[in-house]
Amino acid sequence: MDGPRATRLVEAVLRCYPARWRRRHGDEAAELAALLIRDGTPVSSIAWSYLAGAAREWLTSRPGRRLSTVACALLVAACSLGIAAGLLPATAPARAASTSPAHGRVHCRPGPVPGVIPALDYSRVIIWGAWHGRSC
Amino acid sequence: MSVSRRDGRTGQDVLRRVGEASVLILISLADGPKHGYALIQDIKELAGLELGPGTLYGALDRLERFGLIEPLPAEDRRHPYRITAPGAAALRVHLDSLERLSAAGRLRLQLGGI
Repeated sequence: MDGPRATRLVEAVLRCYPARWRRRHGDEAAELAALLIRDGTPVSSIAWSYLAGAAREWLTSRPGRRLSTVACALLVAACSLGIAAGLLPATAPARAASTSPAHGRVHCRPGPVPGVIPALDYSRVIIWGAWHGRSC
Repeated sequence: MSVSRRDGRTGQDVLRRVGEASVLILISLADGPKHGYALIQDIKELAGLELGPGTLYGALDRLERFGLIEPLPAEDRRHPYRITAPGAAALRVHLDSLERLSAAGRLRLQLGGI
């Protein structure tokens, strides 16, 4: 890869870093890359190293971000489990009582459940299907 | 986050979990301040390992957050770093720990007759 193209590639990869990092290290990082390229280090390995560094930087750049990410993930997991748990009593007995195997998309079709508004029931089945990796 | 806040106990090996790159950077800075390119060259000579620039900056930021190194005023576009007193103490503890481990390993090899 020729000089200008290598420089453009490195600059593009450096733009993946958060702005705060670029303000602090951006110029020096570009110069360091130019020196390493001059020494014979492959541009691809420099670009890859910066790309991996940028990913790490986004994940760990702010104190507390990791904690908030974990908190969000736990919240989403808890909500998902709650929805799944709420759906199981409504759908499992109907499936367990069935004597014929489900064919095609029949099992995904929402059936009437006593005490449940049809529109709500349908949305529940869609969520249940998504949770269990099925497309209805 | 400084080392003293994180690990109040003295003599604890705080470098055990920071990764090899961070330890190599501290060893390289032990004989004087260096900037990024000089660090990569020195570590290549010292350990035969070529640190990627992304790994280098990640480790530098981490060490600075822990108060183990500090940046010096920029020279041109380069930012030299130097090891701090807590950084030197942490490096000493880590190297002592490695020495003990190394001695124990050699002794066991001897006892095992391998």
